[in-house]
Amino acid sequence: MTFEVSEETDRTLTVTVAGELDITNVETLADAVAPALDRNPQRVVVDVHELRFADSSAIALWVQWASAVPEIELRDVSPLLRRVVESMGLAETLNVTP
Amino acid sequence: MPVPLPHDDAGVAMIDGGPVSSVGESPVATDGGGDAGQGRPLAHEGHRWPYWPAAGVAVLGLVITGVLVVLAASTYSTNENRLLNLRVRDAGALISEILPTVQTPLASAAALADATGGDVQKFRTFATPYAGVGRQFGSVTLWRLGASGAQLLATVGSSPVLAASPARANSFFEHAAGSAKLSVIGLLQGPHPRLGYAFTSPGLTGRYVAYAESALPANRRSSLQSSSSFSDLNYALYLGRTQNGSQLLVTDLKKLPVTGRHAATTIPFGDSAFTFVVTARNPLEGTFSQRLPWLIGVIGVLLSLGAAVLTGRLLDRRNQAERLAASLELIANENRRLYAQQRTIAQTLQHALLPEELPKVQGVETSARYEAGVEGVEVGGDWYDLIGLEGRRLLLVVGDVSGRGLRAAATMAQLRFAIHAYAAQDDPPAVILSKLSRLVNVTTSGQIATILCTLVDVERRRVTVTSAGHLPPLLLSDGSGTYLHSEVGVPIGVRSGVRYTSTAVDAPPAATLLAFTDGLVERRGETIDTGLERLERAALGQDGDLDELLDNLVSDLRRGGGDDDTAIAGLRWLN
Repeated sequence: MTFEVSEETDRTLTVTVAGELDITNVETLADAVAPALDRNPQRVVVDVHELRFADSSAIALWVQWASAVPEIELRDVSPLLRRVVESMGLAETLNVTP
Repeated sequence: MPVPLPHDDAGVAMIDGGPVSSVGESPVATDGGGDAGQGRPLAHEGHRWPYWPAAGVAVLGLVITGVLVVLAASTYSTNENRLLNLRVRDAGALISEILPTVQTPLASAAALADATGGDVQKFRTFATPYAGVGRQFGSVTLWRLGASGAQLLATVGSSPVLAASPARANSFFEHAAGSAKLSVIGLLQGPHPRLGYAFTSPGLTGRYVAYAESALPANRRSSLQSSSSFSDLNYALYLGRTQNGSQLLVTDLKKLPVTGRHAATTIPFGDSAFTFVVTARNPLEGTFSQRLPWLIGVIGVLLSLGAAVLTGRLLDRRNQAERLAASLELIANENRRLYAQQRTIAQTLQHALLPEELPKVQGVETSARYEAGVEGVEVGGDWYDLIGLEGRRLLLVVGDVSGRGLRAAATMAQLRFAIHAYAAQDDPPAVILSKLSRLVNVTTSGQIATILCTLVDVERRRVTVTSAGHLPPLLLSDGSGTYLHSEVGVPIGVRSGVRYTSTAVDAPPAATLLAFTDGLVERRGETIDTGLERLERAALGQDGDLDELLDNLVSDLRRGGGDDDTAIAGLRWLN
C-alpha cells in the first residue's frame, strides 16, 4: 500500500491510495491523514483508481473520515470496490463516483 | 493487543518461580538452562580453550618463517663463501706475481758473480738500484760458499741481520745451494723483523749466493690502500703453508688467528710458500643480502603474530555469532510458544463471546460455526447469534465489527448483548438495529459493524430480513437458492438513529436459511457476486443434515486459507 496526501488552498484534502489497503496497514494511513483532518478541510477526496483491494477496516476508515468533514468523495472506484461499498449500504455515505 | 501478553505471562512465571532472586533472571536464560539440546554444547565449548586455531596459525607461521630464515641465511652464506674464495684466488694470483720481482734480481746477481768470479764492484753496480731505503730490498749481499762456510763478500744497503748469526747463515746457504729455486729463509727476528731470500748460482768457479733481506712493516701491520681493488677485505699473510702465528708476515687484522668466515689460499714462493687469508670487511653480496634473513625473520614473526591475533578475533566473532544465534533461537522458540498461547487465548475468548448453546425450537434444526482466520492471533470481530423468542420465533443474527483485537471483541460483545436485551423487549429487527446505531460511533471508536437481523417465524414460515450494511442471507429450497435481498441500510456506527427497512419473505417447506459473514465468500481480486454464486453452488450440492452442510461449506469455501474470520448460522425447517 502506498499513498499520497495533498491539501489544496480551497480546503480540499486529497488522499490517493494505491495497492492493497487492509487491517494490516490501515493504521498507517489513518495516522498519516489525521493531522490534515485536524485542520478541518471542507472536503476529502479519496482517489482509489490504483487501489486493488480494500477490506472492511479500510471502509470503516473512510466512513470515519466522512463523519469528520462536510463533504467526501470516493473517486475512480473500480466495479469490484463499488460493489462492496454498495453491499454495505455506503454508496451514499461515501459519495462514490465513477 | 499482542504486546502486553508476553509481559503478563513473564510476570506470572516469575511469581510461580518462587524465590525473588530468580526475578533477575531473564526468561530466556531460564529457558536456556532447561533446553538440553541447545544450551549444553555451547557450555562445553566454553570450557575448551577457544584459541587453539589461532595458536596453530602462529606456530605454522613461525615454522615457515624459520625455514625461510634458514634458507636465506644458508644461501647468503654459500654465496658469501663462494665470493670470498674467488677474491682470495684473485689476490693469490696477484701475490704470486711478486716471485719474479724477487727472484730475477737475485738470480741475475748470482749469475753475474759466477760469471765475474765474484767481482764485488760489478755486483755493487748491479745491486744498488734494488737496495736501500724505499727500494725493493733493505739489503742485497753477495756470499761465497766455501769449505769453511759462507763468506760475506759485499753488502749493498743496510747490514744484513743474517750476518750476525753465521751458523744459521751456513745452514741456510747449504740448503739454498741444493735448490735451483729461490730459497726463503724463515723470519729473522729482531727490532725490525726481516724476511730473507737467497739464490745460488750453480757456478763452476765457486758457489756464489745472492742474498737479500727486506724489512717487514712495523708490528707486521699494514693496511691495504683504500684505492686497492681488495680494499673490501682484511687479510693476513703467513710464510709457509699454515696459519702459524710466528710466521705471520703482515696483516691488517687486530686479532689472529682469523675466526669466522674466511678464505685461504697457498701461493708457492720459491722453495717455500705464502698462506694468504682474507675476511670480508663488509658482506661481499651487500648489506641487504646479509640482513635479509633477519628481515625475513622479523617480518615473518610479525606476520605470524598478526595472523594469530586476527584468527583469534575471527574466532571471537564466530563465538559471539554462535551465542547470538543460540539466543535468537531461544527467543524464536519463546515467540512461537507465546504466539501459540496467544492464539489459544484469542480462540478461547472468541468462543466465550459466542453462544454456548443454540435455542431449540420445535419444527426446525439450527446450527452455527465460527472459524478464525489463518493468522488468527487476535480476536476477530465476527459473530453469530440465535435468540429464541416467544411463539416459536427465532432471531437469527450475524454480524461483523470492523477491525480486530480486544476493541473489536468488546464492541461485538456490547452489540450482541444489546440485541439480546432489545429482543427480550420484543423490538422488531428494524428497531433493534436503529437502537444499536446509537451505541457505536465511528468518529469516536473508529469502528463500524455490519449486522444482519433475521426474524424467523417458524410456524408461519415467515422470514423478515433487515440489513445494516450486511450481505443477504441465502434461502435454499427444492434444489434452488435465493439470496433474500432487502434494502441495505448503513452499517452500525455510521450515523446515530438510522431508520432501517425490513423485507419479509415466505419460506417453502423444508427450506434452509443461511446467514454468514463476508469471510465465507470474499476473495481478493473478485467481486462479491462471484463469491455469493460459489456459496450457492456449494450449498446446493449437499444433501446431508444441517451440521454436515455447515461443516462442508466452511471447509470447502475456506480451502486455501482465508485470512479473515468467518461466522455462519443456519436454520432448516424439518418439514
